[in-house]
Amino acid sequence: MTADRMNNPMDSGADPRTTATIDAALRSVGAVTPTAGLEGRILTRLASERVKLEAAPPRLLPLTRFGRRHPVPARALGLVTACLLGFVIVAGSVVHSRTIKPGQVVAPPVLVLPGNGIGAASAVHPAAPATAPVPAGQGSRGRSTRRSSPGRARIAPHSRKAPGVAVPAPSSNPSPNSPN
Amino acid sequence: MSCFEGQLASWVAPAHQTTVSTTQTIAALVAEYSTALYRVAFSVTRNAAEAEDAVQETFLRVLRHESRLGEIRDYRVWLVRIVWNIVLDKKRRAKTRPEGEDIADHARALPSSDRPADDSAISSQERNRILGLIDRLPTREREALLLSAVDELTTAEIAAALGTTESSIRSRIFRARKELAVLLENEGITR
Repeated sequence: MTADRMNNPMDSGADPRTTATIDAALRSVGAVTPTAGLEGRILTRLASERVKLEAAPPRLLPLTRFGRRHPVPARALGLVTACLLGFVIVAGSVVHSRTIKPGQVVAPPVLVLPGNGIGAASAVHPAAPATAPVPAGQGSRGRSTRRSSPGRARIAPHSRKAPGVAVPAPSSNPSPNSPN
Repeated sequence: MSCFEGQLASWVAPAHQTTVSTTQTIAALVAEYSTALYRVAFSVTRNAAEAEDAVQETFLRVLRHESRLGEIRDYRVWLVRIVWNIVLDKKRRAKTRPEGEDIADHARALPSSDRPADDSAISSQERNRILGLIDRLPTREREALLLSAVDELTTAEIAAALGTTESSIRSRIFRARKELAVLLENEGITR
């Protein structure tokens, strides 16, 4: 077996004497024999190890050890713990079910990401808010917004009117919101 | 015997039988493979005591994992892998090349009957120098070459033990022998 590997034709590149030297050195390692009685020594050690394994008490967790020493209190403790756990689970479930109002639909969470206009088509593009933010002060109000005063519409006295349109007389006490 | 005792006996008996059968299995493994494992260990340690320790440690591990014995397909490869890991681990811990080479161990090398007579003519000094050169080879090549020296192992078993393919093992052995030949010729160690 080894000789076949050693006399591999692939090895023929080297000098035959060198190859023979290598083979001899490898055989000296691969064919070494143990001192007499190796099997017996191994079996003896295995037997002593087995005795040790069987004699050694099994490793137990502290709770298991307590259970072995005091079986009745351990069982009672286990029962109480199980009951307590069951009560906590049932009570928690009931409390949770009462906090949910009928018809209340839990909206899925919306992921809002800062968009920069560049990204994959499949990326989340949250819509802009529906209303513009309210300006902080009076002066910073947008130009397009106009505050209308309450009351009737006013028509300038000299404006051209269609025939038949009556123009009311100007009031003596103008409102504070009038343009004049 | 009461009904309970009968039931208890039927439960305990298979467990006892299992223990006995695993003990017999391990004893059979010791009888069949201890020499091969010793050679594998010796190829790395080059020390009889360390090689024997490694073999004993191998079977101790088998004993500790005896419940897995039924799952093993190829005991030889499994055991070689265990002893190989043990000796490499020991060598790594020692962080040295095998300096404790036991010259007397080499003298115990069996001259097998089918070996040519001129093979045994290599001197122990020359052998030690060649083994020193083997230790200078790259790890993969060295491991494949050392395992290839063990009579009982086929290329397929070496490949399985080292977790690679047969072709890889063949090429590693080829490279190792080539490099070793170059080293030998450079050092002038030829007969």
